[in-house]
Amino acid sequence: MVQENVVEKEKEMAQKGFEPRILGFFCHWCCYAAADSAGVSRYQYPPNVRVIRVMCTGRIDTRFILEAFRCGADGVFTGG
Amino acid sequence: MAETCKQFLADCGINPDRLSLEWASAAEAPRFVELITGYVNSIKEKGELGSADDEAGEATIRRRLKAAVVAAQARKPRTALGNLSKRLHKEGDFSKDAISEGVSSKILPALRAERIKEELLLVLKEGEKDLDELSSALSAAKEELEKPLAQLQRKGVVEEKEGRFQLAEK
Repeated sequence: MVQENVVEKEKEMAQKGFEPRILGFFCHWCCYAAADSAGVSRYQYPPNVRVIRVMCTGRIDTRFILEAFRCGADGVFTGG
Repeated sequence: MAETCKQFLADCGINPDRLSLEWASAAEAPRFVELITGYVNSIKEKGELGSADDEAGEATIRRRLKAAVVAAQARKPRTALGNLSKRLHKEGDFSKDAISEGVSSKILPALRAERIKEELLLVLKEGEKDLDELSSALSAAKEELEKPLAQLQRKGVVEEKEGRFQLAEK
């Protein structure tokens, strides 16, 4: 039910103008901390990225990225 | 790994620029904001997955990715990846050209073969097909399909009747 609401909301958003769904893999020690401090210092950046924190960018496997695209991501951003 | 992914995405009919690998240290919040804004804008320009000019249609991409996920777990491409990293380490040449050459000659063929084998099964699940239809559905040459088809027939998963292929009934 919740899932359906989310899907409907996203469809509505899509009609208003294309908002890409982007999956982010962020390294716990670098990019994730950078994203955190960007938030603390109130920088503005697009809200399209859904973040998955990994302990190291080296942990990311080819399969993760393919799976992300298969689940409907329009882009994958890896930050080390 | 990133190079493997990019080449494999291109092989699946997806624009490889949809995957980005960038570096921002914990102290570089402004750089991070810049990177992420630039990246989101570039994806906005490309539009939804499967809608850019150089990409296959959405249904094809979904099917292909399903096969690709299985292929990425298969033993042969993973061994190829391990062997390549070992070789690069030994030779000490980590230039972009060396990596991209190694990936396209060693890993990509293994990944592509696995992907084609999986995709054949997915296409045949939709109904029986002849060789021409299979080759256009997978955007692969007929010669490329012969080997996996023969393998699947030997295993008894696929049957051939008067030039048309179908999944064997169990």
